Amino acid sequence: MNLLALEFPPVNHLFDWPTLWFEDTPFALNKVGLTYLFAMVVTIAIFWFAGAKRNRMVPAGVQHVAESGVNFVEESVVMQTIGPDGKKFMPFLTTMFFFILFSNITEVIPFWQFPANSRMAMPLTLALLVWVLYNFQGVKHQGLFGYLKNSIFPPGVPIALYVIVAPIEFVSTFIVRPFSLAIRLWANMVAGHLLLVTFAILSATMWGSGGLGYGGALVLSFPMLILMTGFEILVSVLQAFIFTILTAVYIGGSMHPEH
Amino acid sequence: MTRRIRQIAGALGLTGTLLVLLAAPAAASGESIGGCAVEAAVHAEEEYGSLHAVEEDKKLFEELEKEMEGCLEAPSPIIPEVDEIIWGGAAFLVLFFFMVWKGMPAVQGAMKDRADKIASDLDAADTAKSDAAKIKADHEAALAGAKSEANQIIEDARAQADQLKAELTARANEEVAEMRTRAAADADAARSQALNDLRGDVSEIAIGAAERVIGSNLDRDAQSALVDAYIDEVARG
Repeated sequence: MNLLALEFPPVNHLFDWPTLWFEDTPFALNKVGLTYLFAMVVTIAIFWFAGAKRNRMVPAGVQHVAESGVNFVEESVVMQTIGPDGKKFMPFLTTMFFFILFSNITEVIPFWQFPANSRMAMPLTLALLVWVLYNFQGVKHQGLFGYLKNSIFPPGVPIALYVIVAPIEFVSTFIVRPFSLAIRLWANMVAGHLLLVTFAILSATMWGSGGLGYGGALVLSFPMLILMTGFEILVSVLQAFIFTILTAVYIGGSMHPEH
Repeated sequence: MTRRIRQIAGALGLTGTLLVLLAAPAAASGESIGGCAVEAAVHAEEEYGSLHAVEEDKKLFEELEKEMEGCLEAPSPIIPEVDEIIWGGAAFLVLFFFMVWKGMPAVQGAMKDRADKIASDLDAADTAKSDAAKIKADHEAALAGAKSEANQIIEDARAQADQLKAELTARANEEVAEMRTRAAADADAARSQALNDLRGDVSEIAIGAAERVIGSNLDRDAQSALVDAYIDEVARG
């Protein structure tokens, strides 16, 4: 795509990666799969080494990262949304937070620079997993009938309004939620990747054009690239947090319908 | 090289490094279309001898053109790929089981151990503090008792001193009074003795003198009575 003399690849190409191993099999491994493996290995490494240094009185390094993450998920996610009986979901929610965080943050790692969650595979898979989990918890704690009744007919609403509210609640709770959860993460990472690619290509092109292009790259596009890189670090963390806290909110809502 | 030049060189070096690192998405933004097209052309050249041969054969040219157009196509990013679900799902599951098995228990255990140790240390500090407060209170009580005892001793000593002083004063007064009485008695006795002696002597002298003057013996008893009366008068006077 040639836009104002910039050679900008078609958007789909920005998210398409050649297969590296196991081509033409269901186990074809590309950069996206490698990113998920990276997220897994990094998280395992952090918690492994953090656990090995458990005698430290003052946590530092990976131990500090792991404990801060666990503490953050417990205090800012679980206790705020589910309560003390939500602590049994700590391993799941902590796994989710770190997995999404590290598969997002690759967006700003030099020469990797691709967020795996800008592909729909895992956002949708995780969202469907969350959907199964919170519906299971709802049925487990309220019974099938009670869960459906509380979900579709929220208490406190005038009966006449149920005609409007019930279909909306049904669609919202059972159909839209997993997709909104998945698309929120996916779209944010897609947008972030597009922004970074745009400013990176702009910087490279302006720099490559010489003359005034040097000034343009140094004054305009490159500072924006730095700014956007910082912004995307924030987005990566924030989206991991949002996905995790919404998961906890849905689980908490299923366990405690009175809330 | 001055400090300013070093700073400028450092800033330029940092900028260049950042430019290379952050501009990497331009190179890492997926399969390049140009690369794909070149690859198709090379492939055609290898397969049919030369690109010129392909160009002359309309069918082959259309195939190459179609293949190059394919370079512009890519799967939609919103359609989930099965292989990515498999790798991502497997990575998530492995991570989840690791966290359940090892990660969370280790980290939460460390956090709990630390919290317990801090709580235990705080309890120990509280105990030590209360012990210290008790010891301090005991010391203060002992000090207060010692002070009170000292005051009592001082008071007793003072009272004893006062009593002793009073006794000594009384005894001294008694002794003084006794001495004074005795002295007065001695003085009176001495005076009486002196008067008696004087009376005898004076009467002897007076009588002797009178006998000499009048040449005759006076009635001794009458003269003595007269002299005594005179001396008594003198003594009174």
